[in-house]
Amino acid sequence: MSSRISDWFKERLGLDDLPFFRTPDYMYKVDYWLGALVAAAFIYTVISGLILLLYYNPEAGYSSTEFIINKVPYGSVVLYSHLYGAYAMIILAYVHMFRNYFAGAYKRPRELLWIVGVIMLVLTLGASFLGYSLIGDALATSAVDVGEGIISSVPGLSIFIPILFGNYDAGDYGRVLAWHIILVALIGLLFAFHFFLAEHYGMMPSRKVKDKVPAVYTKEEWQKFNPWWPRNFVYMMSLVFLTWGFILIIPNALAYLNGLPQQLNPFLNPKPAPPPNSPAAAHITTYPPWFFLFLYKIADFTSDVLVFLFIGVIIPLLYLIIVPFLDRTPYLHPLKRKVFVGIGILMITYLIQTTIWGDLTPGIQIPVSQQILVYLPPAVITALGLAVIRPKEDKGGMIKGTISPIMALVFVVVTSLFIAAGATFLANPTLITAGVLIPFAGIFILTTKKMAPVALRAEAQNQKVISEEVSRVPEWKKKLAEAMIAILFIFAVILASQLWIIPSTGYLSNLFGIDLGLIFLMLGEAISLYHYVVYRK
Amino acid sequence: MIKFKLGKDDKTILDYSDLAFIRKLTKKMRDPKTRFDPREFVSKGEDYLFNYTNKNVGSVDEKRRRFLKSLIFGIAAAAVVGIIPGVRVLVPPTVTVTSGFPKSLLVDSSGNPIKASSLPVNSPYIVIFEYPMTGEPNFLINLGDASGKPVEIPPTKVVVPQTGKTYDFPGGVGPYKSIVAYSAICQHLGCTPPYIHFYPPQYVGPAQLSAPEPDQLSAQALLAAKQAKVPALIHCDCHGSTYDPYHGAAVLTGPTVRPLPAVVLEWDSSTDYLYAIGAVGVATYPNGSNGIPSTNPTDDLSSSFGSPVGNKTVVSETENPFSS
Repeated sequence: MSSRISDWFKERLGLDDLPFFRTPDYMYKVDYWLGALVAAAFIYTVISGLILLLYYNPEAGYSSTEFIINKVPYGSVVLYSHLYGAYAMIILAYVHMFRNYFAGAYKRPRELLWIVGVIMLVLTLGASFLGYSLIGDALATSAVDVGEGIISSVPGLSIFIPILFGNYDAGDYGRVLAWHIILVALIGLLFAFHFFLAEHYGMMPSRKVKDKVPAVYTKEEWQKFNPWWPRNFVYMMSLVFLTWGFILIIPNALAYLNGLPQQLNPFLNPKPAPPPNSPAAAHITTYPPWFFLFLYKIADFTSDVLVFLFIGVIIPLLYLIIVPFLDRTPYLHPLKRKVFVGIGILMITYLIQTTIWGDLTPGIQIPVSQQILVYLPPAVITALGLAVIRPKEDKGGMIKGTISPIMALVFVVVTSLFIAAGATFLANPTLITAGVLIPFAGIFILTTKKMAPVALRAEAQNQKVISEEVSRVPEWKKKLAEAMIAILFIFAVILASQLWIIPSTGYLSNLFGIDLGLIFLMLGEAISLYHYVVYRK
Repeated sequence: MIKFKLGKDDKTILDYSDLAFIRKLTKKMRDPKTRFDPREFVSKGEDYLFNYTNKNVGSVDEKRRRFLKSLIFGIAAAAVVGIIPGVRVLVPPTVTVTSGFPKSLLVDSSGNPIKASSLPVNSPYIVIFEYPMTGEPNFLINLGDASGKPVEIPPTKVVVPQTGKTYDFPGGVGPYKSIVAYSAICQHLGCTPPYIHFYPPQYVGPAQLSAPEPDQLSAQALLAAKQAKVPALIHCDCHGSTYDPYHGAAVLTGPTVRPLPAVVLEWDSSTDYLYAIGAVGVATYPNGSNGIPSTNPTDDLSSSFGSPVGNKTVVSETENPFSS
């Protein structure tokens, strides 16, 4: 029955003939599907944004935000998850970008794909800034003020302020809303282009298969792989629902946290701050949205706006756009592109460092000596580290015993977070900072442990070369997975029945988001298990 | 699982699932309804066998998949069912009377917000703020009983005698729900304070019958107050129209045929501030065709009546008419 229905659609839609990339078995790892995660976050944010558009009144930004949160049924669920969908999209876009940066995916023939991606990142940050400004709370207005200050201090750019923000100061957010939607529409168009380019060249093959440019499978090689329908679709749906689940659960759970310390607020509080004209607004430290904290800090380094724009925006952006043309080596292995890998590691380190710094000391001028003290050590460590590590080659000319790019990325992030948490704890030893430090320390130790054998026994370890000889998954594991699907089904039904009795507004209404997110997680997990049972050999 | 020993390795020959499949196939082959036809098999070869198995047994894998698929569709269905209460998001909100009106914080002459709990009860002073347009005065009254205690003003239905239609007055606000605000423009011929003003309980008595303008009360108004059992009144000295502040400024005596429009107040209990957020009742200016007033208070927002007061409006104590 179900196969008849799916056959009907298959025939009508020509699913077997889609010009999409046919995928080899080893690519069913999140590593290769980060773009799908970004796309899932994007789609979620668009859908929730369209729902919010039914209620948002740009003539009264703050009060209609409050109205959505307090009066619209499940309005706070939609609004908070819209916010965190955008957050997820930004974070995942960075992860996606840096993973591909270290994998060398910007190289021939994927230069255009890379450049379109960088433009999409800029558009995403722009759309997020405008979306954040639509709340019209004290933080949003101060962020817009800072943004306007930066634009207007560049000669000739101030004509763009009325074009971009309209009568923002008079409480009219019509222009901001329009630009928000326009930028998102542009992202959507570029996404279609980016996606079809990606499908055209195919996902980047493992370095063990193709270690030089052009890293593409030929069409003949494709033919042996799994067709796009239905396996890729099934795998993609599991990732989409898992992403949606987290986007729904996290902010709605955070909505029940109160009295967060000021430093954690820009990261963890989905609720709007007081309106700018209220007496309470005087008591809050203003800071930009967290994804612009790094720019906010760089603005404190220099009084010259042009210098600031060059350091904070133009140079990194230009670098990212022209990197495919700078890095002309044919090798994909990170250790054969040490300069670019070094720059990549420093970009991540500086981004995290500056963001945390901007959060800890918002708007405080930093002398040059202190800037050097903060930014020099990572550069020295990276340079020394890269100089010492040498690529080892085995007989076949393959480079072995190195970690995957995603693992390196995780390690860099975890280390930075651990150092930052440690510094915060030392500067301000309270229960909260200790509570933040301990989990980070734990994660750091775990990650290091995972890294250590790779780094220490690099030569001894004989990494398995990917080939057709893949060990079969034992039958009992598949049976277990089947049982788990059944259990997930039971839990999903129980939760779905719970959803019907949650009040639509007020304190408890955010439980709806948490529960729905849990069902999405279960759905994603069940599809992933199904993929395991049916397709894994 | 049936295994076969070959040197060091076990080699699987037959799975339990394969065994079950074979058992089922042989059972179907023996079943008279779906008997396997050996002659067909001889003539068509293995194609017949494959078609036969597909039709009658199906592959083992297919059945397992179908079951798992149905579970997954079950979870997906649970997600859809769970979302159903959420689609209430799409139902448009009911339009409130306050739409289109500015939300204005009531402040004193030096710009500090008025505290609701510090408003004097039954003040003889004429306390006025402009709303929703500049030049449109409204009374701000903290109503009490004859002994000066604040009185809760419940929501009521107010009748417009001219048309017979009714509207809902939302009631008082503040810590005792005793604070109300009404237009200070008489609905009869547009007299403004001090000719129209609030008469506290101590001034609603026979002594006011002979008081000089603008504090005179008509005998008719006194009688109406007694009949309606209200301790205080809003009265216009021009032609004697009387309104009941305890019941949405409903008409007590003519010549007016319309109640005073009421300003909707909002009280923020955390800060004790008062906000004007809209108006209910008839439009302030009876400029409808054939003398029938518009029942839509948003007509007052037409730019021909002035400019909106913005997000703050000043409350002023103009004078105490009784002291002279």
